Amino acid sequence: MVSFLFNEWLSETMPRHQLLQLPALFVLGIILGSRFSKDKVIDLSWSIAIFIFIMSSFVFWMLPHSIDVAAINAWFNRVMHINMLVAGFLLVPALRHALFEIKIIFLGMWAAMITAAGIALRVFDILLCSAFTIEQQKETGLWLIIIGTGLYAFTLFVFFSGLSRK
Amino acid sequence: MKKVLIPVFSLAICLTVIGRWTSGFSAFTIFSYTLREAGQLPRPFPDLAMIDQEGTVFHLKEKQKYVLVNFVYLNCPYVCHKVNNQIEQVYHLFDQSIVPSKLEFVTISFDLGNDDVEKIKRYRAYFGADISGWSFALPYQSRQEEFDQFLRRVGIWKYAVPATGIINHSIYLLLISPDNRMVKIFDPARDNNHTIVEQITACLKEEAI
Repeated sequence: MVSFLFNEWLSETMPRHQLLQLPALFVLGIILGSRFSKDKVIDLSWSIAIFIFIMSSFVFWMLPHSIDVAAINAWFNRVMHINMLVAGFLLVPALRHALFEIKIIFLGMWAAMITAAGIALRVFDILLCSAFTIEQQKETGLWLIIIGTGLYAFTLFVFFSGLSRK
Repeated sequence: MKKVLIPVFSLAICLTVIGRWTSGFSAFTIFSYTLREAGQLPRPFPDLAMIDQEGTVFHLKEKQKYVLVNFVYLNCPYVCHKVNNQIEQVYHLFDQSIVPSKLEFVTISFDLGNDDVEKIKRYRAYFGADISGWSFALPYQSRQEEFDQFLRRVGIWKYAVPATGIINHSIYLLLISPDNRMVKIFDPARDNNHTIVEQITACLKEEAI
């Protein structure tokens, strides 16, 4: 797998670890999910349960403690890979049949979470992750704010285009 | 009703995992997690032989007075010196009736590979000649694994970044009581000098009573 091959390089700096490795694995999971998973999660409650799992996975792997252990411990890094792949894989069937409102809430919360994490990394003048430097921490924070804002704009776009279709 | 249980159950599992991982949503960094995992305060300070800048071997428990301990390494590019500058200010906020008779300061280097007695002596000199009661020390005849274990038990995290050799570590200041227990922990990034002095003074007064 791509991430396993370039794992050392991807874990070398915080921006690579947080902005390339994590999303790349998630996207890889989405691609696999859209290719191989024909199942729809018909039940709304299962869709919500999967969204909670995906959100929690991102929260977990954005915690400074998890970032550190994933960068230091190869075994824990593998757990991150598998978790992100599974989260991406499950997103596709969950999205296929989710209510429009649920999709919007999910996207909005996700955007808010990424932006908040970015602000925290940007604002703190103390080192939060021992495996990286404070400069990398601030750079990652800036990019997370940009990505979070972009995702928020995308959420608004989906929301208004969905409304106009209705 | 059953349908509600599925997302609720999912949320409960996720919160449990994150809650356990962060010691009950209280330790989000590896520094605070290591400190939490070491145990609640007050707790005994683990014993380790140390050698100070004069070459004198000592154990903290033998001091039988309050000791403010911090950990540094001399090749640190920034943070350690900043913390030591803060300790210098704290040191000078106490008068001679307290330091060194009731309170001492001990700065311990954990760079066993690079730092030695001569280097810590030179480094101490940067803080002036008149700093009796503030020792700089190294672990004495301690293997790396033994010292790492000691740090874990104290609650101090350290990690040497392979690419740069920089040692990222906890910068907590630990207050050890005369009966060799850790009674207070200060975070120089959050606690200002006056808060630190006030809390140490309160401990000293408690001891006097």
